[in-house]
Amino acid sequence: MKIPMHWRLLDAVEAVAALLWPRALHRHTGWLLMAPAIALVGLLVIGLMYMGDSSLRLLDTETFEQSADYSLANYAVLASQSTYLTVLVRSTVAALLVTVITVALAFPYAYLMVRTRSAWTRKFLLISLFLPFFIGQVVRAYGWLIVLGREGILNNLFALVGLGPFKMIYNYPSLIFGLVQYMLPFAVLLIAPAVTAIQEELELASESLGADWKRTFLHVTLPLARPGLVSAAVVVFALTLTDYAMPVVLGGGTNDFIANAVYDAFFRISDNGLGSAVAIALVLFGSTLVGVLLTVLGTGTPDRD
Amino acid sequence: MNARGKTLLLWLVVGFNLLTLAAPTLVILGASVTTGNMIVFPPEGFSLRWYEKVFASEVLRDAFVRSFWVSLVCTVVSVPAGTLAALGLARHRLRFANLLQVYLLLPFTIPLIGSGIGLMLFFGEVGVLGELWPVGLACGVVNLPFMIWSVLASANGLDPDLENAASNCGAPPVQAFLTVTLPAVTPGIITGALIMFVLAFNEFLVSLLLTDANIVTLPVSIYNSIRSIITPDLAAVSVIYILVAGVAIVVLDRLVGLEVFLKGR
Repeated sequence: MKIPMHWRLLDAVEAVAALLWPRALHRHTGWLLMAPAIALVGLLVIGLMYMGDSSLRLLDTETFEQSADYSLANYAVLASQSTYLTVLVRSTVAALLVTVITVALAFPYAYLMVRTRSAWTRKFLLISLFLPFFIGQVVRAYGWLIVLGREGILNNLFALVGLGPFKMIYNYPSLIFGLVQYMLPFAVLLIAPAVTAIQEELELASESLGADWKRTFLHVTLPLARPGLVSAAVVVFALTLTDYAMPVVLGGGTNDFIANAVYDAFFRISDNGLGSAVAIALVLFGSTLVGVLLTVLGTGTPDRD
Repeated sequence: MNARGKTLLLWLVVGFNLLTLAAPTLVILGASVTTGNMIVFPPEGFSLRWYEKVFASEVLRDAFVRSFWVSLVCTVVSVPAGTLAALGLARHRLRFANLLQVYLLLPFTIPLIGSGIGLMLFFGEVGVLGELWPVGLACGVVNLPFMIWSVLASANGLDPDLENAASNCGAPPVQAFLTVTLPAVTPGIITGALIMFVLAFNEFLVSLLLTDANIVTLPVSIYNSIRSIITPDLAAVSVIYILVAGVAIVVLDRLVGLEVFLKGR
């Protein structure tokens, strides 16, 4: 009987695999599988180390080279100059605002999407969510510039009734608004699985016991959806705090966030050390805040009574 | 009565959301077909001349090709790594499994600006800045958790006994992998690959940090244009992104159905 080609090929592959990964090592196959991913993430770790190293070096303003020895002076600059404090406060307040508004807007959307009986509605809501998600931040911010700009739609509508034109871009409110609509798909996609997990019978039971929909919502739905709400809040907070593109495009350069300060340090004043210090500080600050948030709100895994 | 009030409130909020989600897209589509020279909406007349201008522009064509190449590199790098990692996590009992999961979430826990700058410094030291493939590599690293999650969702549904059965029937390890494991996680792999591709195509900050003026990718190109002069050809370029997003959604829906994202893990 003639042995088919692909059998021969497979046998050869098996032989090579057995050579490279002998039976004795089969216990550790799990680690072999993890190796490529571990290596990839390792690139990030190396990057972090480079950043940490750079943050400890001062810039020689004459040669524009970094110093050979280490010092904490960059961090001292961070702590002392008020511009950095302003940026920090601005970013954190924005992150809190955006988180609250986004989660408040996202929950009804997720709820409707999951609970609706019509498959068409669900599909429509899903597509409306994924389309912006796949379009990207820059293009969407650009769209908002057109809508809110001086010659934009809204101002044109206002002009029809004799109002305006209003300055609706390059300011803080428009930035917050842009961030909220950018974060909305993230929040909905994180809340939806949690709502799916709530059995509808629980809500029906609550209503049949006499609670109106508001009480059912507050005392049954909301607490049960908590894991989703927590993860949505944490993700939106972290993403907003560290955002780069929106403050530049919609904020107009006067509402910079921490990420913008990092970029400016690197590319406007060529001080890699200072920029690295801000970036490291952001990583630490962000992780701490997220840790605090998670402790306060609970990790989101439901408690079993 | 009560149900009516609830439905009304729900649809009010959802309607507002739909409006804000759709507005940029519709406006860009509309503005791109204007006959005039300015970005206005509603457009003045209907003309495809801005699309002509885009296709004729070498700068934009090059940026598009570069973005495509970056996305390709990203997908090629992250699909094997993510798939194997997800299978490793789902199939094998590893010591330090929790630590490993925290480690693999680093691309998400480290802010994008931090990852980007760190990689920029590292790639600079190693001397690969100025090439496109590091940008693809960086996109793959930064979005890796998405790939792992995607395959993990499929892998968790795979009955471990199937692979044991294959081995019992005499299949050597590689063959068992190819004939049993891989086909079972294929939905997750394809979903993940699609997501990775689209995310890399859209990736702005990492591109901004890792490219110079000679090798800009499309998002950076659009961003630079927004900051200088805004003409309708920018809207035409943005429509490309809308089309890519549309195609991705259709493919995703045909393959796994968008509803899969509604379920928990």
